[in-house]
Amino acid sequence: MSELRRVGEVEWELPATGPMHVPGRVFADAELLEALGGDGSLDQLRNVATLPGVVDAVLAMPDVHQGYGFPVGGVAATELPDGVVSPGGVGFDINCGVRLLAAPFAFDELGDRREALVHEISRTVPAGTGRGSGLELGRAQLERVLVDGPRALEGIGTPVDVELTESAGRLDGADPRAVSERARQRGSDQLGTLGSGNHFLEVQRVDRVHDRAAAEAQGLAEGQVTILIHSGSRGLGHQVCTDFVKRFQGALDRYGIRVVDRQLACAPASSEEGRSYLAAMAAAANFAWANRQLIAHRVRQAIARVLGEEAAAGTRQVYDVAHNVAKIERYGGLELCVHRKGATRAFPPGSREIPERYRDVGQPVFIPGSMGTASYVLAGRAGAMERSFGTVCHGAGRRLSRTAARKRVKGGDLRRQLEEQGISVRSPSNRGLAEEAPFAYKEVDKVVEVVERAGLAVRVARLRPVGVVKG
Amino acid sequence: MPFRWIEHTGELEVELEADSEQGLFEAGFDAICDLVSGDGTPERIEVPVELTGSDRALLMADWLGELAFLAETRGLVPERLESFELDEDRVRALVQGSAGYPAHLVKAVTYHRLSFERADGGWRARVVLDV
Repeated sequence: MSELRRVGEVEWELPATGPMHVPGRVFADAELLEALGGDGSLDQLRNVATLPGVVDAVLAMPDVHQGYGFPVGGVAATELPDGVVSPGGVGFDINCGVRLLAAPFAFDELGDRREALVHEISRTVPAGTGRGSGLELGRAQLERVLVDGPRALEGIGTPVDVELTESAGRLDGADPRAVSERARQRGSDQLGTLGSGNHFLEVQRVDRVHDRAAAEAQGLAEGQVTILIHSGSRGLGHQVCTDFVKRFQGALDRYGIRVVDRQLACAPASSEEGRSYLAAMAAAANFAWANRQLIAHRVRQAIARVLGEEAAAGTRQVYDVAHNVAKIERYGGLELCVHRKGATRAFPPGSREIPERYRDVGQPVFIPGSMGTASYVLAGRAGAMERSFGTVCHGAGRRLSRTAARKRVKGGDLRRQLEEQGISVRSPSNRGLAEEAPFAYKEVDKVVEVVERAGLAVRVARLRPVGVVKG
Repeated sequence: MPFRWIEHTGELEVELEADSEQGLFEAGFDAICDLVSGDGTPERIEVPVELTGSDRALLMADWLGELAFLAETRGLVPERLESFELDEDRVRALVQGSAGYPAHLVKAVTYHRLSFERADGGWRARVVLDV
């Protein structure tokens, strides 16, 4: 890490060298830097800094780890109209994100119905590979979802759910014509499904409130039960990215762009290819918000069956954030395309981009930990607008590869360990469970502490899992 | 083994080795079988695959991507290649397996560090999968 120069308490600069247009900026403390262990994420950050039109600095959040093209936990902003958009800077799981629901009952009131609730949610929300949703969308229905997101799902969720979603659950400019038949085929029966890999759904208990005013605005109190949903645009989004990374290979010569990694293929955002990608990406992002809307609806159905209609009706949405997306935003008078790859928008108090009810306390941000550890609710702060394009981390960040995790624990043993900690587990795959073991991730407490010390966001509440449904 | 899984913090990376270019594509098939092998059912599936592309590395990515696509959309747990032909810019294959529940979902085949090259008198490829 000798190439890094300390520029703040938890801020480091990776100087611009060689073909880099801008420096890198890394948010970490010494321990998190050590945890990177030369995993290649800083090399990937250097590569991102070579993208045409990139401005200010490319960023690594405290949960950064090696990805493909961009590091996971990476942020890059390019200046419009000529700066590029790179599908690899968004990732395959377009608008992978997190939704938090707050139940109208406390963990103590849940009592011995915890197991039943987790079980019922696992029966109601399809998870894992090969699990369709039981809801096959026709062509016209799918197109409405691609354009309007959750608004297209009549009778699913509430208008307040939509209002309390980043970008109100709809990115403008979505064009279904830019979404391939293959992408539609992959997504047509996947709405309302978790998927697999690191996607999950947790039943949690608010075990600590850090910021009483923000928690009150978000309707969170100590002891309360919350449900956190982590999923994305499923096969539809994966295919949109696949299609455009391939298409952009052919565009590179046309625009005289050289990339140091083929996964960083890109085109000017204002070009035909760039506009087409942004239209398809917006459609996939809208699909993802609709996916989480239907999952939340199914969670409420499960709550109704176990705890009654009143409990289901009183289960409110706190907010829904995207952590794999590119958005057009303004900073310092410039119009920028901000790529967030495993990074979450975190706008401060006063921002007109966030719902009115949160305008005094800052945008809610959700940082899932790993099974068996805490997750956090944060609120955006002004420092994020000054130093990170209004962005913070998106999770704890992987520390170990999936193979290494599987070598250290068997899925069945991990399941028993978690049950002994009072965490009910439902997972279709022991192998998948082992790959997501808590020790495979960095310490989420450390990650959010760095975010707070950097002035990007503040901690609002800590959530402890009491039940996990793994994808 | 004609394939080897390599440590990668976030995703899965595989290295393929074979005596010939066609052997590399067959090794890629074996790697995907290893990854997605899951609970099959008695229902048999046979799927013809035809892909074109003059860039060998991209053609390999397409080949593995097609197998992942079939696993996701048809529940194909691949078992064997009934036939496989590789020419200058085309792959033609007949994939056999069972309809079931693949154990691992492959979101996509990335182009990150994608390579397909001669090595040590044979051929070697590297592919990173987003999982």
